[in-house]
Amino acid sequence: MHGIKRRQWTEELLKQKKLQDQKKISEYRDLTKTVLDKKRKEIYTLETFDLTTQVLKINPEFNSVWNYRRDIINSLRDGLAIESWEDELNFTMAQMKVFPKVYWIWNHRVWILNNYPNSPLKIWQRELVIASKVLEMDARNYHAWHYRRIIVNEIEKISGKSMDKSELEYTTLNINQNISNFSSWHQRAKLLPRMFSTDEVMDKKKFINDEVSYITNAMFTDAEDQSVWLYIKWFIKNEIVSKTLSGDEYQKMLKDLKNNILAINEDEVEFSGVQNNWCLKILIVIEDIETSLGITNTSNKTEYIEQLIEADPLRKNRYMHLLNKH
Amino acid sequence: MSIEMSESENIVFLRDKHIKYIDSLDKKQEDYEYWLSEHLRLNGVYWGLTALCLLNAKDTFKKEDVIEFVISCWDERSGGFAPFPGHDGHMLSTLSAIQILATYDALDSMNARDIREKCVAFIKGNQMKDGSFQGDRFGEVDTRFVYNAISSLSILGELTPEIVDPAVEYILRCYNFDGGFGLCPGAESHAAQAFTCLGTLAIVNKLGKLSDSQMEELGWWLCERQLPEGGLNGRPSKLPDVCYSWWVLSSLSIIDKLSWIDYNKLRAFILQSQDEKKGGISDRPENEVDVYHTVFGIAGLSLMGFENLDPIDPAYCMPVSVTSKFKKYPYDK
Ligand SMILES: [Zn+2]
Repeated sequence: MHGIKRRQWTEELLKQKKLQDQKKISEYRDLTKTVLDKKRKEIYTLETFDLTTQVLKINPEFNSVWNYRRDIINSLRDGLAIESWEDELNFTMAQMKVFPKVYWIWNHRVWILNNYPNSPLKIWQRELVIASKVLEMDARNYHAWHYRRIIVNEIEKISGKSMDKSELEYTTLNINQNISNFSSWHQRAKLLPRMFSTDEVMDKKKFINDEVSYITNAMFTDAEDQSVWLYIKWFIKNEIVSKTLSGDEYQKMLKDLKNNILAINEDEVEFSGVQNNWCLKILIVIEDIETSLGITNTSNKTEYIEQLIEADPLRKNRYMHLLNKH
Repeated sequence: MSIEMSESENIVFLRDKHIKYIDSLDKKQEDYEYWLSEHLRLNGVYWGLTALCLLNAKDTFKKEDVIEFVISCWDERSGGFAPFPGHDGHMLSTLSAIQILATYDALDSMNARDIREKCVAFIKGNQMKDGSFQGDRFGEVDTRFVYNAISSLSILGELTPEIVDPAVEYILRCYNFDGGFGLCPGAESHAAQAFTCLGTLAIVNKLGKLSDSQMEELGWWLCERQLPEGGLNGRPSKLPDVCYSWWVLSSLSIIDKLSWIDYNKLRAFILQSQDEKKGGISDRPENEVDVYHTVFGIAGLSLMGFENLDPIDPAYCMPVSVTSKFKKYPYDK
């Protein structure tokens, strides 16, 4: 159970609940007994289909009843009109709205799409719009992101065309609305290497430079949230950057980034009197890259680590470990 | 800081109330919710039993009754265990069944009616071409099910390179750039998936497949899950939740970096989530308790060595006293 407030039950409330529950329990148990009996006897009819609807409306977590429902659909498949498949999509949508985090509902919807007669491109494209709507309501919904990737994959398979560009635009749109949408940063980090390897990027150097400006901007907009920092940590070490830029350009990019991070940190010290932990953490990463490149200007790594031990005591032992390794 | 610290040290772990709470769970037939949660019953028994073992109160449940219930959940049609009699076999409930039987040293009860043989066939039959596992015949794939399969087969001593090697390859494809693991290749990192992936690798003795720098990144991502209030979250910018005390801590423990988070602060967060009246632990302070958060809160405390709890195995999520008897893979010829 997640996010349900603890209630204090008085004797009176308990008595009332018990009374109400009694009736609900007997109805529910009668219903599930009937359904499981017919399931065991493998009765696959429109009538038993309706019984599964009744159970699932009350309890969408009842996986075995979803299974029974799919067995019924499979068995009646030849006589089913397109409307029945559409009805089924509508049913799962209604369920999803009430229970957006139940694995089985998402799972069932994927099954319906896969089994829809001829599973045409247009139903998957329509589904992509729906996935975007769900993500509008909860931009981090783990199920919805997984679902979206399944749909995109399928559309690409059927159409034979990559959707990397439009999906990248989708992440930009999301991030512009909320920089701490890490699910979008994650998706971005998955898309870029693929786009570089399949030559979907025309001017690679320009692309990298634009991306550097984009993350620099993001960093200045919200330096408190770790999402953009996690992305930067990946980006500056990735081959798409280190191999697209020349040695000098790469070093300059790192140096500029470092100066910007130092500026953000200074601002923060001036404003609130404390350092920005993530600035320090990423400065260490940059110095590590510089060291590996053989750049041996004055290293401040030890200083940064020591500052983190003070500023971020929760993770003190990780910093001690870094200090010992250094 | 020091005031806060001494305050949290004053919170008491409600051992006896937790035992009472777990014991009360099967006596709630008058509650509607009891019947609505049948699909999780076997998992619930495993969570309750494991918590009781850690609390040194294993005898609270009647062993014979539990074993009989587990066997009654076996689904002859699929060969796997269902969460409740009459339901369908699934990888999730199959692992719970095997864990409960192993905890009671009662795996031989699977010898009747060829249960053991058919169950192993069910598990192996759910492996896909890419090494992943589906939860049942309807094709949902998730590293949770890889973990279910590998842990189950390990407890039964039935692992083989044909099963293990592709599963390991699949797990490694779920590793992400940020240092976490996703539910499948391409999916965002999630702390529960860190446990299923690292747990799988640990059980089959393949942690060496991860490089030193991957281990460092993993440790970093995992320790960033701790929030100023002490609790751990499952992904960046999410709320803390007691169950992540287990998913994150067990992962840190598997890669030998348990000390990278602050124990006292996490302990305080878990203890603040106890229901002082009826026992049990909730996802966060002031919320409704359940057996799932109760066991994972207690398991987290056990890993950190608090409250004089019995030690828990981070890879199997079972008492060390039970897992120490398992045959370790790769098996001696
Ligand atoms: Zn939780």
